[in-house]
Amino acid sequence: MKLELRRIHIKDIQLGDKTEVKGGVLTVNEEELISKLKEDERVKEVKIDIARPGEKVRIIPVKDVIEPRVKIEGAGNGFPGVTTKMAQLGEGKVNVLHGAAVVTVGDIVGFQEGVIDMWGEGAKWTPFSKTYNLVVDIVPVEGLDPHAHEATVRAVGLKAAELIGEAGRDVEPDEVLTYEIGSNAEETAKYPDLPKVLYVEMLISQGLLHDGYIYGVNSQNILPTLMHPNEELDGAVISGNCVAACDKITTYQHQNNSVILDLYAQHGKTINFMGVILTPELTTLEGKFRTCDYTAKLCKMIGADGVIISEEGYGNPDSDLLMICKRLEDAGIKTVLITDECSGWDGMSQPLADTAKEAVAVVSGGNVSHVVTLPPADKVIGNAKAIETLAGGWDGSLEEDGTIKCELNAVIGSTSEIGYHNLTAKLY
Amino acid sequence: MKYKIVTNNPLIKPNSENLYFVKGSYEDVLIKVRDLVYEGIELISHPLGASMRMLYSPYRSIIVGEKCNKIDPYHIEIIENSILNYRNTLESRKVDWVNKDDYALIDKELLKSTFSDLEVNYNNLI
Repeated sequence: MKLELRRIHIKDIQLGDKTEVKGGVLTVNEEELISKLKEDERVKEVKIDIARPGEKVRIIPVKDVIEPRVKIEGAGNGFPGVTTKMAQLGEGKVNVLHGAAVVTVGDIVGFQEGVIDMWGEGAKWTPFSKTYNLVVDIVPVEGLDPHAHEATVRAVGLKAAELIGEAGRDVEPDEVLTYEIGSNAEETAKYPDLPKVLYVEMLISQGLLHDGYIYGVNSQNILPTLMHPNEELDGAVISGNCVAACDKITTYQHQNNSVILDLYAQHGKTINFMGVILTPELTTLEGKFRTCDYTAKLCKMIGADGVIISEEGYGNPDSDLLMICKRLEDAGIKTVLITDECSGWDGMSQPLADTAKEAVAVVSGGNVSHVVTLPPADKVIGNAKAIETLAGGWDGSLEEDGTIKCELNAVIGSTSEIGYHNLTAKLY
Repeated sequence: MKYKIVTNNPLIKPNSENLYFVKGSYEDVLIKVRDLVYEGIELISHPLGASMRMLYSPYRSIIVGEKCNKIDPYHIEIIENSILNYRNTLESRKVDWVNKDDYALIDKELLKSTFSDLEVNYNNLI
C-alpha cells in the first residue's frame, strides 16, 4: 500500500464568507458549516468557536480532536464506515490541513475532564495547544440517551473535519510524506536480515465513553485484528473514549500515530515493520485472556522477532498489557511496552495497577498524577462548570483568584501512551 | 444464573438472588469481592475501571461467578492489587460525590456492556 500525506501548513484560522485555504490561512464559513452539521436530526444547536496558540483560552470538556483532511486520490474520503460509505483505506493521496484541528466539546456526563489551555503553563502539557483549533460544541435534541448523545458528538466532529478538510482539495501542499510498505512476503524478500517488528495498539473497549472504533465497528466486538499501518494513518481508527483525558488516544493521534511513524522511519533500515494489530481492552477476565492469547498467536503466526505494545487508559488495561507481554516474552519475542504511570504526586508509588517480571523494556509517557497549576483563562469555550470538576479533587485545588491545581490526568493528551505529546522519557 | 453482581450502585435493581448489595463505599465493594474470591468464588470482571477518573466514582459494580473447588491465585493477585491501587490513588484524592448520579449511570452502562460480552440478558438483572 502507498499513501501520500500532503501537508498544507496552516498558519491561522478565521471565520469568513467562504470555507477555503489561502496563503496558509484557513477560513471557515460558520453559517454553512452549522447548517450542514444540523442535517443530523439528533443535533439541535451547534456553536462554533476558534482557539489559536497563545490566546488565553481554555477548552473544556474536550471529547475528541480530529485532523481535517480530504482524500484527493484513492478510495475513502471522510471516515468510511462512520461518516461515509465503506471503502478500503490506506492507498492514495490525502491533502492534510496540517496545524489545524477540529475539537469537539462533549458535556455528556458531569465528571468528564479534558482540558486544552492555549497559553501559559497549561499549553506546555498538551500537544493541542499548538494547533489552530476549530471548536464544535453541540446541543443535542431533547430525549437522547447518553449513548446516542455520545454517538452524535462523535459523528458531528468527524463530519466537521471532513467538511473543513474539503477546503484543501485544490491547494498545493507544502510538504509531501510518502508511506509505502508492500506485502509481508515482499518486504521480507527485500530485507531478509532485518528483524520483523509488529506494533500492537491496545484500545479501550468497555462501553459508554470507553470505546474505540475501527471502520465504524465497535472494537468491543472484535477479536484482535491485523491492519496495514496506512489504514490507521488514513482514518480507519476513531476514538469514542472520553473519560481518560490524559491517555485517551484522540482520533487526531490515531491519524498521526507516533509509533507507526517512528516504525516507518526505521523500516528497511533497522527493522522490517510488518503491520499493526489492534487489540481491544475488555472488562471480563475471560475476554482479556482471549484477546491476549489471540494477540500473541497473531504475532507468532506472522513470525515477529519484536513487538511494540502501546496501552490506552489505566487500571484494568494494565493487566492486558502485561499478559500480552508475558505471552510474547515466553514465546521468545522481544517486547517493548509503552504506557504511562500513576505514581502519586511525588512520583514514588507503584506506577501500574499490575506487574510482571517479563516487562523488562518499558517506556513511560509520564506521570498522570503530576500536579500542575493552571492560571484563570480570559475565555472558556465549552462548559465553565466543568472547571469545578477539574479542580474539585482535593482541598485547596481551586484558589480564590481562579487558579486551579489539577493533575495531568485532566489534560488532553498530556501523557499519551503512543508518544504523541510533549513529554519525553529520560534514563537516570 | 451463574453470575452475581457485587455493587453499591443504587441504580442496580435489588434482587437478592443475583446481587451482593454492599452498603458502603467503592473500597467496601472491593473488599467484599476479595472475601468472595478467598472463598473460592470466581472473579469474572476486572475490579478496576479503565481510567483514573473512574477511580473517583462513589459506585462500582463487579461481576463474580460460581464457587470453584479451588481458589484461583491469579484472581487473588488481581483483587489484592486492585485494593492496593485503589487505596494508593485515593490517598491524596477525594471521592467525587458532586457527580454521583453520572457515575452511577456510567457504572450501570459499563455493567450492561460487560453482560453483553458475556452474552447474558441483563434486563431482569439490572
